[in-house]
Amino acid sequence: MLAEQIRNSLEKLELEKVAAGDYGRTGYHVEVAAKPEQITAIAQVMLEQQCFLESLTALDLIESFEVVYHFACFRELCRTVVHVPLIKGKTAPTLSSVYPAADWFEREVFDLFGIVFAGHPNLKRLILPEDADFHPLLKDFVASS
Amino acid sequence: MMLEPGIEEKTFYLNLGPQHPSTHGVLRILLEMDGEFIANSEPVIGYGHRAHEKMAELRTYQQYLPNMGRVDYLHALAYNHGYCLAVERLAGIEVPERAEFIRVITSELNRIASHLLWFGAYLLDLGAFTPFLYCFDDRENVVDILDRVTGSRLTYCYFRFGGVRDDIDDEFIAGCRAFITRLRSRWQDYDDLVTKNVIFINRTRDVGIITPEQALKYGVTGPCLRGSGIPYDIRRSEPYSVYPLFDFEIPIGERGDIMDRYVVRLREMEQSLRIIEQALDKLPNGPIMAEKVPKRLKPAEGEVYAAVESGRGEFGTYIVSKGDTKPYRIKLRVPSFSNLSIISELIKDTLVADMVAILGSLDLVIPEVDR
Repeated sequence: MLAEQIRNSLEKLELEKVAAGDYGRTGYHVEVAAKPEQITAIAQVMLEQQCFLESLTALDLIESFEVVYHFACFRELCRTVVHVPLIKGKTAPTLSSVYPAADWFEREVFDLFGIVFAGHPNLKRLILPEDADFHPLLKDFVASS
Repeated sequence: MMLEPGIEEKTFYLNLGPQHPSTHGVLRILLEMDGEFIANSEPVIGYGHRAHEKMAELRTYQQYLPNMGRVDYLHALAYNHGYCLAVERLAGIEVPERAEFIRVITSELNRIASHLLWFGAYLLDLGAFTPFLYCFDDRENVVDILDRVTGSRLTYCYFRFGGVRDDIDDEFIAGCRAFITRLRSRWQDYDDLVTKNVIFINRTRDVGIITPEQALKYGVTGPCLRGSGIPYDIRRSEPYSVYPLFDFEIPIGERGDIMDRYVVRLREMEQSLRIIEQALDKLPNGPIMAEKVPKRLKPAEGEVYAAVESGRGEFGTYIVSKGDTKPYRIKLRVPSFSNLSIISELIKDTLVADMVAILGSLDLVIPEVDR
């Protein structure tokens, strides 16, 4: 079972939380919570297990951010979610050296949330115009509906 | 590229797009050219950004449904499906079996329409005009069939939480069966006209190869991934709806070049026909909507990720609920975004003409990338 293998390898990293997920309700097989500085090591484990970076996004929880990583696998059904709480104003390390897919995902998160990924080779706006001076997915950004 | 000693290296920039016919949407690629070869490139996206994810936070779950047909307008029903699946999981709604069958039938018809459009438009990119007329003729049939039941020809909004909007009737079923027979009689024409065409073969064989390692690192999914020999299809790998009830194959390629991606899509249409045929044969009677779906949906606090197989790859919906009538956050994981991010690597050191062939072979829907 891939989910078990992933859990075993991740437990060695002494993360905040490594638990089996309730697939029927959430769509996750493994649920992980970790500190920002641990995400690179996690990504390396996921790559060793032949998982791909499915999605990378963030949540604005008003007082803080949370960066959310989803990994899945081509060989076997196993989705891993990694929640990384992030204090506003702090940076998260980039995954683009491990997963080139993260390059664009991180640029998108930087663009829409203003989260800076330390070590990113080309961190500039991806979707909005270069001269935009706002981050639209922040909760205090008011859009006219 | 190697330069002879003594010759100064000079590169120049070529701007492709955002209004270039081969980009199928407003995509711009900045090319750094070394003579006729592409030394470096940088895609510039976002021209079609409509803030779909921000809109989600301002609307109730039901109000957001029509957005789904507009993210990827070519396979809109898969996006209907993906979003409904996620919300149904979050709110614990059971979908009646007949509704699931109708979802599969319409979704597969839509997949065929999407692949047919790619087929025609792609060959147009390569300079072949006639196939475009053939497949639009066929596609017109699908669009008519779907128009009857969904009420629109594009940007469908047909699925509801707990079922579908309208039931299908005998005329719809007869139309589907006639279409299956018609399209099957066309495969030979398509093969003779395109697959065996020596110009087409020379332009696509061993061009734009995606290796399985690259696919893994970039998160490439869909026919682009299966062309590289990895049989990853959400319909089989992460079964949803009633797909496990049907017998169908996952076509894969060997080399991962354009030709393989082309063959995968062509063969996938036949598999979709098989699914539709079986679903029509087994179609159960019963309700098409779940009972007691609340008018104002207010899912409990929590989060969910649900994935479906769209015509371009894995479409994932990530919803975070804080127990409100509006979602706290929706992230749309769209396949074209990841599939496009690999382009700089694929077109390095190729000719501009090959770049057009490679770009088209990824079957991108740019508004989906921009969201």
